[in-house]
Amino acid sequence: MEQRMWKVSASPHLNDKESISKIMWLVAASLAPAGIGAVYFFGAHAAWVIFWAVVAAVGTEAAIQKLMGKPVTVSDGSAFVTGLLLAYNMPAESPFWLPIIGSIFAIGLGKQIFGGLGYNPMNPALLGRAFLLASWPTHMTIFKTAPHGGTISGIDVETGATPLNLLKLSQDVLRQVKINPAEVPAQKVAEATEHISKLYDAYGNLFWGKVGGCLGETSVFLLLLGAAFLLYKRYIDLRIPVSYIGTVALLTWMFGGTDGLFTGNPLFHVLAGGLILGAFFMATDMVTSPITPKGQWAFGIGCGVITVVIRLIGGYPEGVSYSILLMNLTVPLLDRWAKPTIFGGAAKK
Amino acid sequence: MSVVGEFTKGIYKENPVFKQALGLCPTLAVSNSVQNAVGMGVAMTFVLVMSNIIVSLIRGFVPKKIRIPIYIVVIATFVTIVDLSMAGFAPALHKALGIFVPLIVVNCIILGRAEAFAGRNTVVRSLMDGLGMGLGFTLALLVLATFRETLGNGTFYGLPVHWKGFEPMLIMILPPGAFLTIGLVLGTMNWWDRRRA
Amino acid sequence: MKDVVRMGGILGIVTIIAAGVLGAVANVTKPRIEEQHRLALERALLAALPTADPRAIVPVKDENGNILYYKGYADPDTTKLVGYAFLAIGKGYSSDIQTMVGVDTTGKIIGIKILSELETPGLGAKIEEIRHGEKRPWFQAQFIGKTKKDLLVDKDGGPIVSVTGATISSRAVTNSIRKGLERLEKLIGGFKQPAQQPAA
Repeated sequence: MEQRMWKVSASPHLNDKESISKIMWLVAASLAPAGIGAVYFFGAHAAWVIFWAVVAAVGTEAAIQKLMGKPVTVSDGSAFVTGLLLAYNMPAESPFWLPIIGSIFAIGLGKQIFGGLGYNPMNPALLGRAFLLASWPTHMTIFKTAPHGGTISGIDVETGATPLNLLKLSQDVLRQVKINPAEVPAQKVAEATEHISKLYDAYGNLFWGKVGGCLGETSVFLLLLGAAFLLYKRYIDLRIPVSYIGTVALLTWMFGGTDGLFTGNPLFHVLAGGLILGAFFMATDMVTSPITPKGQWAFGIGCGVITVVIRLIGGYPEGVSYSILLMNLTVPLLDRWAKPTIFGGAAKK
Repeated sequence: MSVVGEFTKGIYKENPVFKQALGLCPTLAVSNSVQNAVGMGVAMTFVLVMSNIIVSLIRGFVPKKIRIPIYIVVIATFVTIVDLSMAGFAPALHKALGIFVPLIVVNCIILGRAEAFAGRNTVVRSLMDGLGMGLGFTLALLVLATFRETLGNGTFYGLPVHWKGFEPMLIMILPPGAFLTIGLVLGTMNWWDRRRA
Repeated sequence: MKDVVRMGGILGIVTIIAAGVLGAVANVTKPRIEEQHRLALERALLAALPTADPRAIVPVKDENGNILYYKGYADPDTTKLVGYAFLAIGKGYSSDIQTMVGVDTTGKIIGIKILSELETPGLGAKIEEIRHGEKRPWFQAQFIGKTKKDLLVDKDGGPIVSVTGATISSRAVTNSIRKGLERLEKLIGGFKQPAQQPAA
């Protein structure tokens, strides 16, 4: 932001050397390891998806601001981050027009239509993803590119399913057996059991990123590397990630198994899918998450509950993006509920 | 206002959907294809014109206190006529429009025009008003359906209008597409009106 | 008091007139509507039993008059039985999917037509999709020639290719047909053994 503001304004009045553009570019830098990892694991096509998403996001922001006669602020990096995050939420083999349309939607209808940075009620990148998922479900849910030196499922089985998807399919078979043993062939049951036990042993592949999935969500290690940097710089704090991941771990441990309560595998559910990307980089978005500590705890827990409900009961194998979008909408209410008492004000009666 | 003016006002200036924001539920629901839009528009216009005529005819001896129940009976009668005729003569359209034909009864455009216009104007003016409002409603549906069907299904009136390899934007024929389209159309119209004013 | 009577009277007159008009309209349209229903059913039955004579498809009813299944004959005198047809209803993603299914006397599917469904356009509704240049919906065409044991979608280890992104709809159709077939088998006391293929 180049305009100097000397106007009398509402609080906060504390000034800091930090600026929007510095924060945003450092967030982009913290996402870089995962991006480089994506290109290593999924090949050059992943780089193209990232490229098109970023170019379209920045271009749309500039075009809309120009049309509306506002100062063009693409150099603040926020559109760049939105494009980056959108690309990280897409399969590596997406056709080039998919990230372009997604970014146009994310910036145009997810952000600028509400008035630009700071006014958008929901995370633009996730809105873009939700739009693409509803428009071209086959492109967004089918993963064809196996990671370098690994398989899509993360285990040595010939299948196009991601780890979460394979778990869901296998657990469906085991549940079916309990309801109606006569209808399921024994061979399929054995296969499903084998898949589940192999999946629960594949922590290494999940941690390093040798699994299929959206291009930027697979490598937990590289994502944590970036997240550690953001935590060190204090751009994010641990409240939302910890409450989010903790809730997912607890609930999947309780309800995630097929043999009754507390038979699930929390570690698998934490490492698989887009939880790490979502919890550290998207649920913590400054514009669309609560500002009060109490609100942040509640926000994280809410995200966790919705994610687990979608993963275990819903039709999709993964629920991170919808859970964050839904909780984004509760942010004004959460902040209102968690409003701290003004200093010197009377205690609540 | 001139009699012709009563007709033309419904098309843009007082468009029931875009300007009065009435009848949004069926608008959003059946604007997913041009065929449905035309069918719904014609059915609506028929009911609107007939109910306006009857309401205007009986306006002299309808007691103020029970005018609403009487209007509803009149409207419901014409809706049932449309519903039965469609089931008998255009079963495919009847199936496609589904519950939204019987629901014309509670469409606020019709009761709105009966209450705000036909109940206090002459038969000719009410007829023109009904025709104009019906046409305005049909046009609004057509505008939305054109965007939604071509983008969401790659067709217009069921005929393919797309290049090879086109992949339809499914969201457009799903409910969220209806909200997105009407929001963008309303925004564009407001921007246009403000620019001209 | 007088007011109430007057208003009641006016409302009564309006309703009586409306009822009269509606009665007349219903009288005119009723046979047309029944005709349309009959035509739709007939078309479905013909699609399900292509080898049967259109005039010789007879419903088999239970003691309450509910139609259990249909018998199709090749001749108007109903002597040569070619197969059975039944209505399979399965719970899809957003609607009950009704499918008319025809089988020959050995229990092999010879025809299928989806009568009604309200699945998601572009996904589940593709169970009725006709690909460019083809005459029949590809999803339904897969069922022709299948018997009870083949009626599983690919996700459940069977040969029926499900519609991409619409496993629930595909599974609903497949499972409802399998269950309907099992019910039919019980009702008619078992299918005939298929003729032995001559050894090659």
